[in-house]
Amino acid sequence: MAILLDRNSKIVIQGITGREASMVTRHTLDYGTPIVAGVTPGKGGSDVHGVPVYDTVKAACAEHEINTAVVYVPPAFVYDAVLEAIGSGIKFIFIATENVPQLDAVKFLALARREGVRIVGPNSVGIISPGERMKVGAIGGDNVERCFVPGHVGVISRSGGMTAETSWMVKKAGFGVSTSISIGGDPLIGSTPVDLLELFENDPDTHAVVTFSEPGTRFEEDMAEFVARGGFTKPLISFVAGRFTETLPEGTVFGHAGAMISGGTGKPSQKMKKLREAGAYVAEQFDDIITLLQQVLG
Amino acid sequence: MARLLEDLSKNLFKQSGIPVPQNIVITGAGEAEEAFARLNGAVVLKALVPVGKRGKAGAIKFARSAAEAREMAEQLFGMTVGFYRVEQVLMEEMLDIKEEYYLSITIDKANKTPVIIASTKGGMDVEEVNREHPELVGKLWVDPLLGLCDYQARELWSELGVTGRLLQKLGSVTSKLYRIFEGNDAYLLEINPLVLTLDDQVVAADAVMSVDDSALFRHPQLLAKVQMGTERAWRPLTELEKEAVAVNEADPYRGTARYTEMDGGDIGFMCGGGGGSLLLFDALRSQGGEPANYSEFGGNPPEDKVYGLTKVILSKPGVKGLFVAQNITNNTQVDVVARGVIRAVKDLNIDPAVFPIVVREAGVNEAEARELFSEAGIEYYGDEITLTEAARKMVEKMATAYRQEIASGKEGR
Repeated sequence: MAILLDRNSKIVIQGITGREASMVTRHTLDYGTPIVAGVTPGKGGSDVHGVPVYDTVKAACAEHEINTAVVYVPPAFVYDAVLEAIGSGIKFIFIATENVPQLDAVKFLALARREGVRIVGPNSVGIISPGERMKVGAIGGDNVERCFVPGHVGVISRSGGMTAETSWMVKKAGFGVSTSISIGGDPLIGSTPVDLLELFENDPDTHAVVTFSEPGTRFEEDMAEFVARGGFTKPLISFVAGRFTETLPEGTVFGHAGAMISGGTGKPSQKMKKLREAGAYVAEQFDDIITLLQQVLG
Repeated sequence: MARLLEDLSKNLFKQSGIPVPQNIVITGAGEAEEAFARLNGAVVLKALVPVGKRGKAGAIKFARSAAEAREMAEQLFGMTVGFYRVEQVLMEEMLDIKEEYYLSITIDKANKTPVIIASTKGGMDVEEVNREHPELVGKLWVDPLLGLCDYQARELWSELGVTGRLLQKLGSVTSKLYRIFEGNDAYLLEINPLVLTLDDQVVAADAVMSVDDSALFRHPQLLAKVQMGTERAWRPLTELEKEAVAVNEADPYRGTARYTEMDGGDIGFMCGGGGGSLLLFDALRSQGGEPANYSEFGGNPPEDKVYGLTKVILSKPGVKGLFVAQNITNNTQVDVVARGVIRAVKDLNIDPAVFPIVVREAGVNEAEARELFSEAGIEYYGDEITLTEAARKMVEKMATAYRQEIASGKEGR
């Protein structure tokens, strides 16, 4: 078991013929994750590394059972691609694309909520469940095992790159991951850390969760409240990067677009304090994740 | 997020049917008297700079005669507001104010929908009004799929006690502002104050507008007007920052290279990944190191981009070491990073035997990177050490190198 992705996931990749999507398709297949179909308007009838390509999601769904859409189209087309997937009844959509216009995101996220569709991203590097050998997105590349080995620790990261490094720290501590998720670096994303903690709480295969956070947003404050009211009862180990930004003038953006501090909310030190008060294990140094994991799972 | 200056925002408002005061932009105090004559009456002079709270900074002046207008303009052109030197001044007719209101539209990140905030108490900090008189502040969350209906805009003001012709006027301005918000992919629109004049006109006395830079591709008319690059700094870009922007823009679609200068510091910070850079900066500082800049590179940058960024980083006066580090990646070719870094180091005649450099890069083509760095005499690590350990090694190497320098200096005397 894992969350979001398992052997029952039937994946379609929208924009599969693009340069990056095509490379990701090859790495994903090599890893052992089946991809049932791809979609690129006008390229129907061709194939990408053996995956059949259709002109529309509807046409792909007519030929295959599909329950997971992976969006790799350019920013200007993401809105349409997400609506197309929702229109075909797909209930889980992963969006890799970066720089999606905010108003587009606001609109498709509103529609997804209305239709009961789960979204991860935009601007996510991927999701991986190593025990199931399932992944979507560039996560792990062609050297997946370096960072991602099967185990019982969930990883939630606001930074794409740090999803790998954090999972590697789990491995270094002597454990592995159930599912690692890069939630996307934008301020407006589908699944928030609290949404994912809820899934991890209900996953018997996950025994603890490690989170990597950045300044800005209310994600960590919300996590702290969720933990405090008993929504997540497993050990939670959290690291918040970017404490130095608190000493800079307000409004400066570092890291991802989501990492903007305004009006006192979103400060790393506040996030750490709230998480600690809620009962989470807060790592002062990133290396402390190793000892904390050994302490709570050892 | 990219900001528009007030005159440009007001032009957009005017085109969309929201009344604004008559105005003229002047570029020197010498133009003040003539502009005053054209505006017939008392005027307001505002420094055109992309910063908020100009009133508090003394960057808004009033004048009732041509001579006074010139005097005030002279004061403004000599000012620096929030690190920005005043190069343009907006002169506009002074309104006869009966009432001041507040109106803004932005995206509520927590609810993931646009939110309109209105208040019958304008002209001051809306957060303060909200704290002290929450009953005077109305909020309306807009269904992004439906857009704003006119009746909702009227409801918002009606619930604040507005009635009659004024209710229609404020409702109409609100609907028009929402159309500007949608039509330009705005990130923030704010009118404070929205003025009711003595002759019962509703006029936008101020206009704050910033747009979503991710959506600029569909607004070519805005491209030339926005202040790009201002979102990453609290002051105008420095010369080295401009150089770094040029390095990035020379090959905009392959990898990224961002650079922000810090006050002081002696460690050149050449780090990658949004989250990784934040972590590494903290890690250096918590162990006693002081980075001279912040940077982010990633997404497999070509050699020239790595070279250019490294050179910028090493060119800042006072930089006495170089820290090259990144989280483990699966798309960055570390051999390319190695070539770029080594070329910059050689170009600047830096000797790694005395100038502390620590590299922690784990990604594609690591073996080759290891060889290149080792040939160049640069201390290199892949994933045999953690990010925290890499930062520690950097700080220790700085301490060792410069303690020795002081020691050998003493011996020489």
